[in-house]
Amino acid sequence: MTGGEGVVVENVCKSFSGAAGTVDVLQSVTMKLAGGEAVAIMGPSGSGKSTLLHLLGGLDRPTSGSIAIHGRRPAEMNPKELSLFRNRIIGFVFQDHHLLPQYSVLENVLLPAYALGRPPADAQGRARGLLEDVGLGHRLHHRPAELSGGERQRTAVARALMNGPRLLLCDEPTGSLDTANASAVGQLLLDMHRREGNILVVVTHNPDLAARFTRRFQLVEGRCSAA
Amino acid sequence: MFRGLIYHRRSHLAVVLATAVVTAVLTGALLMGDSVRGSLQDLAVNRLGDVDLALVSPRFFREDLAGDLAGQARFSTQFHEAVPAINLDGSAAHAGSGRLAARVKILGVDHRFLDMVGAGFTIPPRESGRQPAAIINAALAAELDAQVGDDLIVSFARFDAIPRETLLGRRAPEEVTGRLRLILAEVIPDTGAGRFGLTPHQGTPLNLFMDLGELQRRLDRPSQANSLFLSGRDGQGDMADEAQAAAAVASAGTLLRAAMTLSDLDLELHRQGDVVALQSREFVLRPHVEKAVKAAAADLALPLRPVQTYLANTLRSGDRQVPYSTVTAIGGPAAAPPFLPLLLADGRPAPDLQPDQILLGAWAAADLQAEVGTRVKMDYFVVRDNEALDVESREFTVAGILAENGLAMDPGLTPDYPGIADAKHISEWDPPFPVELDRIRPRDEAYWDEYRGVPKAFFAIAAARDMWSTRYGHLTSIRLGLPDGGDGLDALEQSILHHIDLAPYGYNFRAVRAEGVAGARGATDFSQLFLGFSLFLIVSAAMLVSLLFGLGVEGRSREIGLLLALGYSLARVRRRFLAEAALLAVAGVMAGTGLGVGYAAALMAALRTIWRPAIGSSRLFLHLSWPTLVMGAAGALLVTLAAVFLTLRRVSRRPVAALLAGAVGPQATKPGGRISLAMAWGGLLLAVGLTATAVLSGQSSSPGLSFGTGAGLLMAGLAFFSRWCRRHERPGGVGNLSLAGMAARNSSWSPGRSILSMALVACATFVVITVAANRLESGGQEGQPPPGAGGFALLAESSVPLYQDLNDPGDRFELGLGGQAAAALDDAQVVSFRLRPGSDASCLNLYAPGAPRLLGVPPSLARRSDFVFQKTLSETNDPWSLLEGELEPGVIAAAGDAASVQWILHLGLGQDLVMQNEAGETLRLRIVALLRGSVFQSELLISEENFLRHFPSRSGYGYFLINAPPSVTGEVAAALESGLTRFGMDVVATRQRLAAFQAVQNTYLSTFQTLGGFGLLLGTLGLGIVLLRNVLERRGELATLQAFGFSRRRLARMILAETAFLLFLGVALGSGASLLSLAPRLLAGDLVLPWWSLGQTLGLVVAVGLLSSLAAVRSAFRAPLLGVLKAEN
Repeated sequence: MTGGEGVVVENVCKSFSGAAGTVDVLQSVTMKLAGGEAVAIMGPSGSGKSTLLHLLGGLDRPTSGSIAIHGRRPAEMNPKELSLFRNRIIGFVFQDHHLLPQYSVLENVLLPAYALGRPPADAQGRARGLLEDVGLGHRLHHRPAELSGGERQRTAVARALMNGPRLLLCDEPTGSLDTANASAVGQLLLDMHRREGNILVVVTHNPDLAARFTRRFQLVEGRCSAA
Repeated sequence: MFRGLIYHRRSHLAVVLATAVVTAVLTGALLMGDSVRGSLQDLAVNRLGDVDLALVSPRFFREDLAGDLAGQARFSTQFHEAVPAINLDGSAAHAGSGRLAARVKILGVDHRFLDMVGAGFTIPPRESGRQPAAIINAALAAELDAQVGDDLIVSFARFDAIPRETLLGRRAPEEVTGRLRLILAEVIPDTGAGRFGLTPHQGTPLNLFMDLGELQRRLDRPSQANSLFLSGRDGQGDMADEAQAAAAVASAGTLLRAAMTLSDLDLELHRQGDVVALQSREFVLRPHVEKAVKAAAADLALPLRPVQTYLANTLRSGDRQVPYSTVTAIGGPAAAPPFLPLLLADGRPAPDLQPDQILLGAWAAADLQAEVGTRVKMDYFVVRDNEALDVESREFTVAGILAENGLAMDPGLTPDYPGIADAKHISEWDPPFPVELDRIRPRDEAYWDEYRGVPKAFFAIAAARDMWSTRYGHLTSIRLGLPDGGDGLDALEQSILHHIDLAPYGYNFRAVRAEGVAGARGATDFSQLFLGFSLFLIVSAAMLVSLLFGLGVEGRSREIGLLLALGYSLARVRRRFLAEAALLAVAGVMAGTGLGVGYAAALMAALRTIWRPAIGSSRLFLHLSWPTLVMGAAGALLVTLAAVFLTLRRVSRRPVAALLAGAVGPQATKPGGRISLAMAWGGLLLAVGLTATAVLSGQSSSPGLSFGTGAGLLMAGLAFFSRWCRRHERPGGVGNLSLAGMAARNSSWSPGRSILSMALVACATFVVITVAANRLESGGQEGQPPPGAGGFALLAESSVPLYQDLNDPGDRFELGLGGQAAAALDDAQVVSFRLRPGSDASCLNLYAPGAPRLLGVPPSLARRSDFVFQKTLSETNDPWSLLEGELEPGVIAAAGDAASVQWILHLGLGQDLVMQNEAGETLRLRIVALLRGSVFQSELLISEENFLRHFPSRSGYGYFLINAPPSVTGEVAAALESGLTRFGMDVVATRQRLAAFQAVQNTYLSTFQTLGGFGLLLGTLGLGIVLLRNVLERRGELATLQAFGFSRRRLARMILAETAFLLFLGVALGSGASLLSLAPRLLAGDLVLPWWSLGQTLGLVVAVGLLSSLAAVRSAFRAPLLGVLKAEN
């Protein structure tokens, strides 16, 4: 699978050095995800879930081991290639939605389309469509401060899908939502995954959300195992 | 609170530092005023030694007058000592090199004067066979490049009691000036006596001291002096205080009058039996003398007879004529004891005469074969104001032939004219006017031998006044009858001295110490000036305080929100933060006060060095005063706390929930506040209103209106930007998300910060352009007279007045301006002005001027010049004509340079400068015309006619404007300076003189620019801080964008674009406001913008801004951004 579709993680280790010494956050993590697959990664706080997600998204580089996404290795890319890769291939949804407060909902969703300069002609149409899909068609020109927590996270989902990513990475997407909203957002992610056909990786503490995934991984003290 | 202070120490330190800057700038500016005033006062006082009052007259009086003055019992109650001296204006030349120094003070002094001024040196006695010794100050030594032992030649005006512009006062040039050869014995420093001078000026005078006795001998004025200096008695009040000094002047005047004799006034009484005749050594009794004698006669009930005796060139009847006869006019009845009667040949008293009637003496009647009813024509000289001699004639009818007795034969009617009275024969006459000796007949000699100056004819006094009256008067004597027995001569003398006005003699004391102290307050208030210069800096620092404190408070918004949520009242929270800020402010103010002293010391050092052209003195030092330090500190505290309060008010008004959420950037504001709307339109209206005022009132070139217009536009621009920021939410559409569009959107996200940053840049740009546009350049083509010179290439001043017309080849020859060197003068045109010395009214003088220098403008100036008038009191094609005549009794018209009138004299069109004329009467000079950027910045101009009327003793010309072709300008200057050395002629190019004036203004502008530059520095610092803060606050946002594929380079470009957006908008707003406000003056050609240097400066502003932005970006990207995206799990 290394040269084909899917995600291949082999013996990935990640350490952080600090004043208190070196901390091994991930230890020889190995996993393989096929195209169109949806997985949940679970584990206690500090187990390295978000770190693994960042490595998958090319936001960070492993200390050792390799990660291949659809046959490409982000760790070997130069910054320009990496930016292009993230923009075209990866979609992120963070626990804290990280919407830009000075832009409207529609503009926030459009931002990934503008990352490389001139946006595609149909960018606005796609953004509006995605927002309709996530139930925010009536909130296009509102600012993030005027949205509820669930609405903000749905906006973040729409933004993550804007460029049609083949790998959607979600870091505690329901972490700061109430049960109802968390359930709704979880369902939205799965629905959109099915519609877009991408690989969905969700890091979560939420057992209800994890239960909706057919394949789950458990991370404990940096070591990954199938749950 | 203290734990809070310590916890937030980093942000607090920034606030303390910014407050320290506000304090330093404010205190420093105020200290500048104290320092300049204190330094000027020191300069004015130190150079006087113990001299409190001074009397300096062009006339000479008995040296013993000082002793007689001090000998009076009342003297010692107020004064300590009175010393005489001779004080002359002149020039000095190095005998070896010929180097010349004009405007030299020649002081003939002895140990009494040297003790009084604390000179610390003595004048060595003259060595046998050598020249007298001279001691000069370092400034004069430098000017002459003279060393001890060198010979110096000193020239000065030789005072003669007889007015030059009268028949007997005419002199050859070599008789007008005196010259001395002296040996330089010592060079003293330019301090203490070395700076001795009576007119406050920060420049160093050129002083030459020599022995009083030697100077008296050389002047042929044995035991005479022309100056008196008084020192006040210790403990008898402060002579620097104006009120006490005025009382001392009045007291000294009374003592002086009591010590005077008629001899000190060049008057003498000649007694002849019961009749006494008052005559003057001037050979004319001035109007004030006539007035005093008449008052004395009235007091003592004495009869009087005015007498005027003159010289008739010819008495003619038909073909018979009598040459060179004295003729007399007598007032009063022909026979009135105790005066000698004027009797006809038949013994009857002579009849009262009509102005066209004449009485002939028996000798003249016989010579002319005239009898009653014969027409007799008389030729006589008249002297014009420029000393030119004309001959006029008048016809009379003989009303009687006089008997050869009584008054008709009184030789005492004719004064002892020099060159005439002591001649044995007419052929030996040596008068100061031309005499055709070949016309003298033997019978004339016989008459002279027998009768001397006995008049040959008599007239009515009215006719004589009509023919021979001058501005100096017309009577030659007044005869008074004494009571029987002839007693009362002393009483008459005392009465005359009691009534006579001493002002026309220059015998009035000046409170020179008080004048110096008063003048030291300055023509310009340096506190205000430097406050004005530093205003931009103070505002910048206050903005910075606001910005830094605001950032600190915003960073603690959660704390504020929490306190409010816990039930603290808003007022209590504000008080808590305000108390914290007050502590910070006090710390900043304390530190800033010390910095302010350093700042002022640095500015003073700059004034002594790099900004010296504005000051002209290296003797300005820092003067500290506690009240000023306290005032500066209090002002800074007020400014800081106001900035803090406004910031606190803004932040704490946000909803508690928003504060708890740490929401400090975005504000759910109303789309555009009413205040910004009002400011926007108010600013525009202000600009339009001021422009309309300027155009309608013809003051398009007014810098004040122009500056106001610019400020209005600036305010409007900032207010519109504020509204734009607050309207950045654009419902119903997608904004421009390109790099530039995002930069603009992001800039508008924190309107307060962005507006402040942009305001700093815009204000800096406005100041830079406005100041640059107002810099003065001489302009015009090189080699041609500059604008402001009226078409004249050269300007000259002589230490000794000239009476000759420099345009007349004959007069030039008389002055010794002949030969090849002076040939260039044939191509030159000279306009001569009368000059009354006074205070320098230009910006070159830091002291508040007293009575300014006055120039008498000749009528020819209007024809020969093209001076530009900025404004006149009434519309006219010939503004010079406004100077003519008398506007009201005691009010005459004056013109002056607009800058001097406005900034130094603090007057405007239609306003009066009050001074005294020569007679001591109040004279009001009404400003009727203002010249633009002219060479006349040191003086006021009045018509020559008014000059002569009010300052009749100021004869001759001392100021010259010279027009010469560019090819010979240098030769003309050289010819005048070398040919008229004895007159102390000093010639400068008008371009050079204007450049000196312009250097002052340009230096002030440089000062403004420099301090503005400091403000710009603070502005840039503020911009950098805002940017860094913004970037740090937006790390999450930047990380998100990076996660979605925005490269670091693209993010950096976006942040730089945000700065560039604010920078360019600020520069555009500042430039636009400045250029629009200057447009009328630019279009009129009044100003020329130095585009290249301006472009460089503004380029520097942008570059510094972008560099600070780059630094902020580097700082933001130093740590990985993406870490902030991790979930807290």
